[in-house]
Amino acid sequence: MRSGRRPRRRRKGALSFDNLVRIVYLGLFLVFLLAPLYWTVITSIKPVDDYMTIPPVWFPEQPTLVHYTAAMFTYRGLAGLINSAVVSIAATALSVLLGTLMGYSFARFNTGGQHLSFWVLSQRFLPPVAVVLPVFLLYRNVGLNDTRFGLVLMYTVTSLPLSAWMMFAYFRQMPAELEEAALVDGYGRWGALWRVALPLALPGIIAAAVFAFIFCWTEFFFALILTSRSAFTLPTIFRGFLGFQASSYGEASALAIVSLVPSIMLGTLAQRHLVRGLTLGAVRG
Amino acid sequence: MENLALKHAGVGRRAARARTWSAWSDRHFKWLLVAPAIALILALTVYPLAYSVWVAFVNFDFQIPGHAFVGLQNFEYVVEDPIARWSLLTTAFLSVSSVALEFLLGLGLAIAMTRTFAGRGVIMLILIVPLFVSPVVVGQIWSLILQKPYGPFDYLVGQLFGPTEVSWLTGSPWKFLSLIVADVWQWTPFMFVILLAGLTSVSPELYEAAELDGVSRWQIFWNITLPQIAPLILIAITFRLLDAVKLFDIIFIMTGGGPGTSTYTTSFYLYQTGFQHFHLGQATAGSWLFLILTAVLITFLVRRLLRPEPV
Repeated sequence: MRSGRRPRRRRKGALSFDNLVRIVYLGLFLVFLLAPLYWTVITSIKPVDDYMTIPPVWFPEQPTLVHYTAAMFTYRGLAGLINSAVVSIAATALSVLLGTLMGYSFARFNTGGQHLSFWVLSQRFLPPVAVVLPVFLLYRNVGLNDTRFGLVLMYTVTSLPLSAWMMFAYFRQMPAELEEAALVDGYGRWGALWRVALPLALPGIIAAAVFAFIFCWTEFFFALILTSRSAFTLPTIFRGFLGFQASSYGEASALAIVSLVPSIMLGTLAQRHLVRGLTLGAVRG
Repeated sequence: MENLALKHAGVGRRAARARTWSAWSDRHFKWLLVAPAIALILALTVYPLAYSVWVAFVNFDFQIPGHAFVGLQNFEYVVEDPIARWSLLTTAFLSVSSVALEFLLGLGLAIAMTRTFAGRGVIMLILIVPLFVSPVVVGQIWSLILQKPYGPFDYLVGQLFGPTEVSWLTGSPWKFLSLIVADVWQWTPFMFVILLAGLTSVSPELYEAAELDGVSRWQIFWNITLPQIAPLILIAITFRLLDAVKLFDIIFIMTGGGPGTSTYTTSFYLYQTGFQHFHLGQATAGSWLFLILTAVLITFLVRRLLRPEPV
């Protein structure tokens, strides 16, 4: 340490020009971000009479929950919710299981070299529209159209690059010594993986699971094509509001709220892992 | 006695079999780990793609029976379709302009959030919210806001600038701007989060040294910050761009591709061709062309970015 080092200027507290610009910019952006959410919440609890007014009703005098019940039952939101939950949870479990095994193999044994891992990664960027058509035909032939199981398989395979690469990155930064010690103790490869590596990787596995779940929960395109009357998920219900009338604003907003609350809660809980999740482990957050 | 002996022999055989199995599975351990995942990818990605090569070269239309070989006719149909060309142009325009805007706004946010201040944690939580909302819900929310005549946006604009005849979701160029705004709302946080990770990892000593040397802040930003975070900028833009070219959900919900076919993106065009008009052969041929275009992008952009770091 050099002595007599010039103390850094402290800008904290004083309302300098910098801080003013920063506050204004952040403030404006927060308004841009929150206003749509506010409007959706408000619309979902407005009585029907408040929709078709100019000026708009900014806050309803008599909030109501009727749109939530209508969305759940008339628009079959509850059935969609259950399908979404079942499909997302099953696909997440499967995707994280397969992805963890694959990521472990890549990280410890460099299986298949760079080509295999890159090939898996490139799946993440495949345009869904290129895959979905033949899958639709395939599903039609084997009776998987409009089944939860079919959608689970599709979501597993599309979220697999995410899980595998997140776990690949996680295992790569995890020292291998403990597993080697377990091998010396006679655990065998599977024992070392199951009893030593997996428990240590649990935080990474949970993070990967959160991102896989959010992917499945918010996915629209595959569900739109591969499901119809029985296995439809929550996001696909919104197609019913296409070119919609003022009378269904409340239901549309209520469904939007129902759809976004679970994934936002999960996502903010996993905030620490966000950067890794968004870049498939390419950037350590 | 005899029975017991038999039983022992059975146990022994089973144990031996278990031993050979475990030896075999240990030997092929690394491949057994990846096998289920690869099997699934083969079944649900590779096989369909291979099958679709055949579909692209035959008549495959729910309205015309039979699967006669038609050569390159399906490809010609798509390449010569003015709607397909327009949709490619729209896709390029929408994705490049949204990603550019998201980058600039996200960089601004990241700079504003680099230093700690009171309330930063809460603002951070709010800023990442759009990332967890389904794109189709984002489209629905913005349709509610931008619709005429009861939407709040139209009312506010009317109050500020006088009543307008503009229809935000169907008028030109407003419909494109509306789509871009919805995309920017959802994905600016993506840029922000990654760029912030970059900015906070720049060593403070670099800045201190520069400050001691009396370098101006603009020069510090241009000559120190930007080069330091350049790899992350590339990653962020690559990831966003590769997702942006697949734009479908908010088109589906906000404009339905309309009015007419004016806001068709490539994904939306292929969806319409295949699943609304049931020209599956043409749609598949088109998907292959689109796939090749994106594969070129992927190979150029991703390969060099995601080289595994040396351990």
